[in-house]
Amino acid sequence: MKVSELAASGGFRALALSDPSREIAGCYVGDLLSWVMGRAQAGNAWITIMSNVNVAAVASLADVACVIFAEGVQPDEQALAAAQTRGINLIATGLPEYEAAVTLSRLI
Amino acid sequence: MKELSLNILDIAMNSVKAGATKVEIRLTETGNRLELTFTDNGCGMTEEQVNSVTDPFFTTRTTRKVGMGIPFLKLAAEQTGGSFAIQSETGERHGTVTTATFYTDHIDFTPLGDIVSSVSTLIRGSPDIRWVFAHETPNGAVALDTDELKAVLGDVPLDNYEVVKWIEEYLRESYAEVNQNET
Repeated sequence: MKVSELAASGGFRALALSDPSREIAGCYVGDLLSWVMGRAQAGNAWITIMSNVNVAAVASLADVACVIFAEGVQPDEQALAAAQTRGINLIATGLPEYEAAVTLSRLI
Repeated sequence: MKELSLNILDIAMNSVKAGATKVEIRLTETGNRLELTFTDNGCGMTEEQVNSVTDPFFTTRTTRKVGMGIPFLKLAAEQTGGSFAIQSETGERHGTVTTATFYTDHIDFTPLGDIVSSVSTLIRGSPDIRWVFAHETPNGAVALDTDELKAVLGDVPLDNYEVVKWIEEYLRESYAEVNQNET
């Protein structure tokens, strides 16, 4: 499934789609950024509730397909701006992390 | 990071890479406030470089010269309501002072973790550097200055196995004493 298709699915919405045709391969859930940086796989959709600019940096370093902000969390302005200029896809959902992962699992 | 001590290890490595011959790591606890300060006499950074290391996007997509240590430390401090600052000089009085302030009663405060391992790892890894470690708490202090050790050790290098073991035991005993004073 492409990131743009996920963003158009019920319960998810696009915050920044700089690379909408990126294919999602699997999912990683985590909020401790240093931990995520070493474990998320390239192409994963990364579900988190962290919202600062470091999220965009870790997303870039781990080369994830997109970041999904769970529980209605909004990334801060710096994170949003960084994602837009660096080809990082950001998606929002009101679902908690577990439900977001389960929903994503049914879709991909 | 899961433990502040891992973050401390990471930041101190920046001082090593900056060619410092003296690195001070100070932890000062007063009430619910913890101040962490790194002071080195390394090559220092220009204002532009300071901004770069604080910027999590510094360098290329998959490699970073300085790691994410600084952005993570800043985050760790700020998520407790604390603050973060770097002061650096490249001129004659070159060196860098990195300060992070934490509020330890905040639920998002990252526990210090195994600081003894971090300090002994740093000393073992760079035995030629003068390491000054000081942790002040309301219940007492833990302190180590490798120059004082060298004065006693003479020709025995700091990365000698027995010496490394001794440093670890000394620090652990000092912490045990401080923890005993805790009421």
